[in-house]
Amino acid sequence: MIRAPLVKALGALGSPTHQMASRAVRTSAILAQTPAKAPEKIEVFVDDIPVQVLPGTTVLQAAAQIGVEIPRFCYHERLAVAGNCRMCLVEVEKSPKPVAACAMPVMKGWRIKTNSDLTRKAREGVMEFLLMNHPLDCPICDQGGECDLQDQAMAFGSDRSRFTDINYTGKRAVEDKDIGPLVKTIMTRCIHCTRCIRFASEIAGVDDLGTTGRGNDMQIGTYVEKLFLTELSGNVIDLCPVGALTNKPYSFVARPWEIRKVSSIDVLDAVGSNIVVSTRTNEVLRILPRENEDVNEEWLADKSRFACDGLKRQRLVAPMVRMPNGELQAVEWEGALIAVAKAVKAANGKVAGISGQLADLEAQVALKDLLNKLGSEAVATEQGFVQGGTDSRANYLLNSTIAGLEEADAVLLVGTNPRYEAPLVNTRLRKAYVHNELQIASIGPKIDLSYEHENLGADAALIKDVCSGSHAFSKVLEGAKKPAIIIGADLLERPDGGAIHATIADYCKKLKKPDWNPFNVLQTNAAQVGAFDVGYKAGAQTAVKAQPKVLFLLNADAGKVTREQLPKDCFVVYIGSHGDNGASIADAVLPGAAYTEKQGIYVNTEGRPQQTLPGVSPPGMAREDWKILRALSEVVGKPLPYDNLDELRNRLEDVAPHLTRLGQLEPAGEAGAAGASKSIGGGPIDIKLKELRDYFMTDAISRASPTMAKCISAVNKQQRENEAKQSVAI
Amino acid sequence: MSLIRQVMCRSSAHLQLYQANKLAVAARWASSSSADTTGPLDPKLALALPEELEQRNKLSGKITVPTAVNLGPISGVPDEHLKERRVRIHIPPKNAMQSGTDNINTWQIEFDNRDRWENPLMGWASTGDPLSNMNVQFGSQEEAITFCERNGWRWYVDGADKPKKERVKNYGVNFAWNKRTRVSTK
Repeated sequence: MIRAPLVKALGALGSPTHQMASRAVRTSAILAQTPAKAPEKIEVFVDDIPVQVLPGTTVLQAAAQIGVEIPRFCYHERLAVAGNCRMCLVEVEKSPKPVAACAMPVMKGWRIKTNSDLTRKAREGVMEFLLMNHPLDCPICDQGGECDLQDQAMAFGSDRSRFTDINYTGKRAVEDKDIGPLVKTIMTRCIHCTRCIRFASEIAGVDDLGTTGRGNDMQIGTYVEKLFLTELSGNVIDLCPVGALTNKPYSFVARPWEIRKVSSIDVLDAVGSNIVVSTRTNEVLRILPRENEDVNEEWLADKSRFACDGLKRQRLVAPMVRMPNGELQAVEWEGALIAVAKAVKAANGKVAGISGQLADLEAQVALKDLLNKLGSEAVATEQGFVQGGTDSRANYLLNSTIAGLEEADAVLLVGTNPRYEAPLVNTRLRKAYVHNELQIASIGPKIDLSYEHENLGADAALIKDVCSGSHAFSKVLEGAKKPAIIIGADLLERPDGGAIHATIADYCKKLKKPDWNPFNVLQTNAAQVGAFDVGYKAGAQTAVKAQPKVLFLLNADAGKVTREQLPKDCFVVYIGSHGDNGASIADAVLPGAAYTEKQGIYVNTEGRPQQTLPGVSPPGMAREDWKILRALSEVVGKPLPYDNLDELRNRLEDVAPHLTRLGQLEPAGEAGAAGASKSIGGGPIDIKLKELRDYFMTDAISRASPTMAKCISAVNKQQRENEAKQSVAI
Repeated sequence: MSLIRQVMCRSSAHLQLYQANKLAVAARWASSSSADTTGPLDPKLALALPEELEQRNKLSGKITVPTAVNLGPISGVPDEHLKERRVRIHIPPKNAMQSGTDNINTWQIEFDNRDRWENPLMGWASTGDPLSNMNVQFGSQEEAITFCERNGWRWYVDGADKPKKERVKNYGVNFAWNKRTRVSTK
């Protein structure tokens, strides 16, 4: 900020009274500016069709209401209005000049002409200027085929060019910038729409990009050479209406008309972002976001977007059994299943199962059913939680919902870094910070959340202070209309996690408002909520304690279970897609399908079940996870009562009916104390993902991804350079 | 001779039509609700109350009894495609790379994805699935469901038609003095 408002400067002083005062000033400023609740709609005419719109609506939005799309480059509905491309010029009757539809609010009775001679001439003129400074790169441009400039040049441009290079000086050319391993820049193609700049500063909260120079010499860039390092950098590729910013790992790989698009769900964090998987010849080429207003809006975090090359590496392609010499050897399915079945029969009911980060709900239900049939109840998730805290759904969900956090006005983060644990939850918080004057405090180590917040400290005793109402921030929470407390899932793994959970849950009962539940747990694993919903217990140690003779690891790759904790003769079966921690300790490896290869339900951190759809088929002999378990149950002699996905979904409906209502949210009631003691002891609160470098590799797929490895080395390199510069300066 | 006859016939037909029209006009004068315009005027009809006419109309029309039509067994589509496949009815998502929304306002059907491979000879993408390239668009969800049911496919609807969120866009907030929307980078 260049000119920080006075009230903000007051807020930075840190005293609670000052903050309250600044808050009051800000709120009154908002109240003064927001119009009354239901303002009267006004009538305008778009191409002689009457439209009723709210006052303040722009011409472009009014036209969109009746399905008239005005061409645009710089305007994006989720970014601030810039009004600099001029492509949206339209004629308004009795107006002397054409108006920029994206920035001009409508007036009563306006007659807007989106297809008149004047409008068409204006568009043609803008198009001509843009193309004069744009290279004829289309045949070698990655954006070719899905380029706004290409399409709009066809639809609105002139059919001939007046561009003649009489002095043979060549077209305008700009040097390319190196802004990291994810985004490739070809700056000559840039048309200066500034969407990337606005995205970086508004949504990502990183003021790295900007413009230098004016007119023909204007350039978009970072000014000094540095990487555009944020966990949301991939979105500028989507936003770029031309091919100036393109996907580096995907460059020159495919054309849009060659690929097939499959709508699916991302599972690399617990947000459950909606994605489109682009495939060709049984290969995942890239992943794009899919619009879902309730979950990811239309953004996608970098790990979800770029880790897809990890789906081709480190894959388990054949069943394997450990030989007496200690080596895993590839065998046929029959041999592997018989070997596992023998061990299961010999175990005589002493079996256990651990479900990991990427397991789908179908496989989890099949595993639980199989183990129950074998007489065991020891099924648990790999990541821990409060013991006995999984009885009520509200205990482990993000109850305020992801979209709801946008409306929050006071948020306390306890032991979580939403920026890297769930980047798209963080964008909501940032949105609330920017547009809703949200006040945020965190308990835990000092972190950069991309927006201003108050760090209360890392001492666990602070939780008790805040929840007893004696802390200064308690006043803020209690005075807020929609307060929220977000607890990190990793924090609840601690021995005193139960106490932390119970203390906060009690306090949230006090903060509760009608239609608003302030208690939130931010999960980090896509499979966690689903596992609890179908009755898994929390923590790998629950399964280890049973001292099983056979242990099933369903996608469990976090390395929480080691051979030393298990009995010597324990037979470990790994079912999953990647050769990672789980497969390395297994006696039998059954290759499963990754999330792009199966139809599976995942429940996100707010409790919304969504399903992935198969884009490609599993590699080699790999099969869908639940089918492996179904086949195994047959060999063991306790066949599971479902033969296809529909029957399995019916079973799922019996277990928990809300899980098959895909895409819908079920309100979860109130979080209750889990009956734990209330002494919060333990050391200071820590967070696993503190910096950007920790973000890139968190699961089996991203650990196998070369792009993610490049990201980490790029971050490290940048940091080394920064340190070197600083030491020189000193 | 035959020509003359034809002309005669035609003229008489015209005459009849003309008379019918005249009668219709008369009928309209007699009762404004009478819809019957052919044949001689029925006094009962002309004097009937509107409710009676409605009842008459209802009884004279055909009654259709809804029956499930299943074209599956006679369409010649192999059994494996009828029994094992599931149709997804959905609205295609907007391409994140582009801003246009013109082609995404229809409902489409799509079969579950099957094996694809690279053809070893030319490197082209191959598939053994004849239904994967079928692209049918519908005006509404119900039409798509009816189509699937007539063809004997199992279907499910994915994603509802959510109303668009209204946003207030304002150029002025870029320069607001007391809001966090004010930005330093341009």
